[in-house]
Amino acid sequence: MIIEVRNIKKIYKTGSIEVLALNDVSFSVEQGEFLAIMGQSGSGKSTMMNLLGCLDRPTVGDYILQGTNVSTLDDRQLAQVRNKKIGFVFQSFNLLPRLSALENVELPMVYAGIKAKERKEKALMVLSKVGLENRVHHKPNELSGGQKQRVAIARSLVNNPAIILADEPTGNLDSRSSYEILDIFESLNNEGVTVIMVTHEPDIAERTKRIISFFDGKVVKDQVS
Amino acid sequence: MNLFESLKYATRSILTNKMRSLLTMLGIVIGIGSVIMITSIGSGSQSQISGEFDKIGANTMTISLKDFVDLDIGKGLTFTDVDFLKMHSEVNYATPIYYSGGAKLKLKKPGETKYATIYGVNGDYPYIEHLEMKYGRFINDDDDKTRRKLAIIYDNVAVKIFGREDSIGQEISVKTENGNQKLTVIGVVKNPMADFEGMLGDNIPTMVMIPIRTAHQIFGTDQIQQISLSVKDINKLNDTALELNKMLEMKHKVKDKFSVTTSLKNLEQVNKVLSTITAFVSFVAGISLLVGGIGVMNIMLVTVTERTREIGIRKSLGATKKDILIQFLTEAVIITLVGGIMGMLLGYIGGTLVGSLIKIVPKVSLMAVTITVTVSSLVGIIFGVYPAVRAARLDPIEALRYE
Repeated sequence: MIIEVRNIKKIYKTGSIEVLALNDVSFSVEQGEFLAIMGQSGSGKSTMMNLLGCLDRPTVGDYILQGTNVSTLDDRQLAQVRNKKIGFVFQSFNLLPRLSALENVELPMVYAGIKAKERKEKALMVLSKVGLENRVHHKPNELSGGQKQRVAIARSLVNNPAIILADEPTGNLDSRSSYEILDIFESLNNEGVTVIMVTHEPDIAERTKRIISFFDGKVVKDQVS
Repeated sequence: MNLFESLKYATRSILTNKMRSLLTMLGIVIGIGSVIMITSIGSGSQSQISGEFDKIGANTMTISLKDFVDLDIGKGLTFTDVDFLKMHSEVNYATPIYYSGGAKLKLKKPGETKYATIYGVNGDYPYIEHLEMKYGRFINDDDDKTRRKLAIIYDNVAVKIFGREDSIGQEISVKTENGNQKLTVIGVVKNPMADFEGMLGDNIPTMVMIPIRTAHQIFGTDQIQQISLSVKDINKLNDTALELNKMLEMKHKVKDKFSVTTSLKNLEQVNKVLSTITAFVSFVAGISLLVGGIGVMNIMLVTVTERTREIGIRKSLGATKKDILIQFLTEAVIITLVGGIMGMLLGYIGGTLVGSLIKIVPKVSLMAVTITVTVSSLVGIIFGVYPAVRAARLDPIEALRYE
């Protein structure tokens, strides 16, 4: 078991109003799974994604990632977990505009304290894995949407994380690029990488092997396709 | 993230906004620049004055009355006092001095005059003041006893009166409160204050030295306002001063009547005044450094807001609060440090320019350089820390959502 989520609640407070974003959520994920978290906006899927990505802590409940109870970690330890165990892929790519593709991919390794030479070697390796060996010195604004997302995937892979968390990874892409990106996720999954994708599009979710559906802060459906 | 990485990223983001960074630096450049300029001129003039004191010898002292009423009621210093003091083994030269300011010296151009102080002295005076004789000779005892109407003038004054320095045998005309006096020039000395002409301009005091008894005759008095003397051993200057004071008090059978001022004391006073002025003006200039620092803080706050999303991305990739804090702090420190170094160069250039106008060689000490580097780094840290803390505290989820 790579992820175990036990009775998680997440309550947001805005002034005196409390919003229950997640209400008693439990599920687990095995090593090498390829799953989609589905739901409409307000269903709690983004909150779940933030918790899984260690960007936030649950109000109640435990989140165990590779045997570590993440719920109890402090900010610095959470940053380290994000750095080493989680690879993010965002809808809007979130590349740093002033850095080249290569430097963007190197960034997680910079925070991991890896030496420059090793960083470059590893970054070039993952960039060629996503088919961008000829674009390493391009800035994000010199790349197409699909290419940007491939840089982002390369970046998410570079520290060999336990899971890759993709938040609407095809949301800003045309259908052809979307399929390319999904192909990459599929082949990564075939190599044994655990991929969790958040989406609201059923046809995208179809490509995965398991769909967890959220509604009103609860898991309403968990089915293996 | 190590220091080298932080420096690399910081330099990069500074270079991205070249114009903005440069304008931000300008505040620091001006602040540090003006402080350096002022202190370099300040310490330059201080060392020049000390050098001047060394040249004329710091082995002198002047004795005068604490209360000038004594002078008017005939209880002042006398010629016998001068001879008496000369008996002390440490004293090598001594002169009585009667001076009267406000005399008008007729210049070359008809109708044009220059204010001068008449200095009645004896033949020891040039040795005490280390005057450099350029033409002719100084006053001797014979001139004094027979009350000859002779004068020693400065070289630059000679030029103003006669159009040339060598004016031996010429007559100068001085208008005093006791009528017009015609004096024959028998000597021309180098103006000892010539090096300060740049600083003081025409305000350099002009002295006309004449035999003291001639002065007494002209002004109808027998007063001696002060006695100047020099000692053999400069290390005993202060001790000798105390002894001479005691000797005079015994001779006059009074206590606490004379004031003895050594040249070292004068130097100390001049330095103290200069230091105070320098410190005050530096303080005023330092305020512009404060304003510059606020400018840095302002821009760093703008930068943090602009780069909220970048901060979110970096955090999602594993940057800790400390990493973000150091990143923004490094940027602020680079801006102020580079600004500080530029200010230092500019201040030195400015100091040299102003110095060449007032004939002072500015001095930038290692101390000033160290302080500049420290202060500008500190300004960066102090004014950079608040924006950096704000950046570090950003919630990664909020920051990632920021458009």
